[in-house]
Amino acid sequence: MDWIASFPVTRHVLEYTKKQLCQVLRSGSVPQHVGFIMDGNRRYARMNKMETKEGHSAGFDTMARLLEVCYDCGVQAATVFAFSIENFSRSEYEIEWLMKLAKSKMKQVVENGELCHKYGVKIRILGNLKLLPADVRESLLEAQEMTKNNERAVLNICCPYTARDDITHSIKNIIARGYDPEDITQDLVSEHLYTGGVPKLQLLIRTSGVYRLSDFMLWETVDVDCDVEILSVLWPQFTPLLMLWILFKWGWNRTGRARRNKRLLENHGKDD
Amino acid sequence: MSLEMKTTELEGSQSPANGFSAEASQELVYNLVQQNQQDVSEVPTDVDHRNPVPAYSSDTFFTTLYNLFKNLASSGSQTKGEGEGSDAPGPISYYIYHSILVFLYLLMSVYRFYEYTYNRLKLRFLNLAYNPSRTPSLINSDVNKLPKIPYRLSAILNYKSEQEENGGVEGLCNDAAELTAWCLSSGIPNFSIYEYHGVLKTHVPELRRSIHRKLVAYFGTSNVPTYHIKIPHLNLSYAGSYDGEYGDGEDKPDIEISLLSVVDGRPTIVELTKVMSQLSKNHELSEKDINMKFIDQELQQLVGPEPDLIIMFQPYLNLQGYPPWHTRLSEMYWEPDNDEVSYAVFLRALQKYSTCKVNIGR
Repeated sequence: MDWIASFPVTRHVLEYTKKQLCQVLRSGSVPQHVGFIMDGNRRYARMNKMETKEGHSAGFDTMARLLEVCYDCGVQAATVFAFSIENFSRSEYEIEWLMKLAKSKMKQVVENGELCHKYGVKIRILGNLKLLPADVRESLLEAQEMTKNNERAVLNICCPYTARDDITHSIKNIIARGYDPEDITQDLVSEHLYTGGVPKLQLLIRTSGVYRLSDFMLWETVDVDCDVEILSVLWPQFTPLLMLWILFKWGWNRTGRARRNKRLLENHGKDD
Repeated sequence: MSLEMKTTELEGSQSPANGFSAEASQELVYNLVQQNQQDVSEVPTDVDHRNPVPAYSSDTFFTTLYNLFKNLASSGSQTKGEGEGSDAPGPISYYIYHSILVFLYLLMSVYRFYEYTYNRLKLRFLNLAYNPSRTPSLINSDVNKLPKIPYRLSAILNYKSEQEENGGVEGLCNDAAELTAWCLSSGIPNFSIYEYHGVLKTHVPELRRSIHRKLVAYFGTSNVPTYHIKIPHLNLSYAGSYDGEYGDGEDKPDIEISLLSVVDGRPTIVELTKVMSQLSKNHELSEKDINMKFIDQELQQLVGPEPDLIIMFQPYLNLQGYPPWHTRLSEMYWEPDNDEVSYAVFLRALQKYSTCKVNIGR
């Protein structure tokens, strides 16, 4: 099989096939907003006898590849869980490396931002930015500033984020702005979340076979309209082909489940 | 009785105009939210007011296929407009791509048919293999092998239409009762049942009868375990005891059952926000008191603590509006294509839970 992979045209053929498959999926229904919990970088590094930081780098490359597929398929927004507030309890060395990685990758994205230019990706940094070191915060915000005029797709980078912090932040904001209590609704709370203004989350993907949400986008995920997909592969092993399969399966499931979910929601108004 | 107590507490905490303490405001917020919720959605207790609830039932494979065709036919016109931008395909290539997609969907249907059959057969086999046969000691021996069991268990149940097997209110109560018996046998002291529409909340007498009958069948008439049914959203609690009569609920019950529905989810958080915003307008709650810990405590009082394990007895993973604050670190379990409450699923969920390792952030 190796000779096929090394044959000169193979890469182009694969690339072409991928693009065509994306076009095919794009013609059907595709989730408007996909969330990713990138789990398993460290385990991957351990399995392949790498250093932890190399695992994180591999994870970043996977993310770039998957996002490309998503945007090619017509996904409007993607949200990635880059760093949890709880992650600050990891070893200092690792945090330092992660921060360095974030900074350098952001610089790369901003300077020769293929992804951003080609897909018109608007980068938004979500989370409690006060907790970040000043230099990292600046470079992240710079990336956000530079891409703010892009309109076609959104990439939310959650760093450092937890859903409970997000909900608290939203509630605090609402109270601080002094809304009339009568006007406070679910939609208002949703709008004031960090993910406000982005299409509703319709698919959440978690890797490495953990059946938990780990404090990521809880408010958005419990929605009846949102499906959760749990994969047994580690994050760096997540191939674009698998992503295509998941999006395809989502589209197929949607056709069957749409009616069922609607029936579930019919009574919704009464329950509120 | 509890209402009176509440109002006095309320006045008590309101009286110190500015020098309020954190605990006092905590109590105050809790009481107000409780009251608001009770005002807003009083559950009708008499039988005539019960609305028929649309069923959240499983479709057969063929209805799915039918829906598929219907959706494909209609989606053509909808999605066409979405492909804006420079590299969007033209209308002709769009139809070519879409027909390929339809073809792939058909292949997928065939694949799903086999997968469905396989999953159902597997479940059928598991149900035969693991049969509790209404014996607590069997369940206990199954569970005792596990290194750890959850302290708080939550189950998401779905109302099925009356026509279906084990459907209707009776079916739901039966499932809830069965789960209660399994929890008791495996030594889980806290159990919450989530059902989207809150059907169980309006049928507590039926539920109690059904639980009692089940417990007698499992444990025998001589030592029926005691249980407590709580509806956190209405702040009601019923003590279940011997012959289903209302006991005085003095001593600690063997199991606590709380009934949740979609109102305990996002609407409760919204309600809490409303109350806090009102209080902060009246300068009874300062902004710096509102933090994650405060909200967490409020929601724990209003809804209950976070479960360790959520078992979904449904064909696919969907949280159906489960309280979002409470799903933070809960392990979730479901069996693909399963739509009934069975012991095999329950036990496999516990087995899966016993192997998982929670390490917050690390």
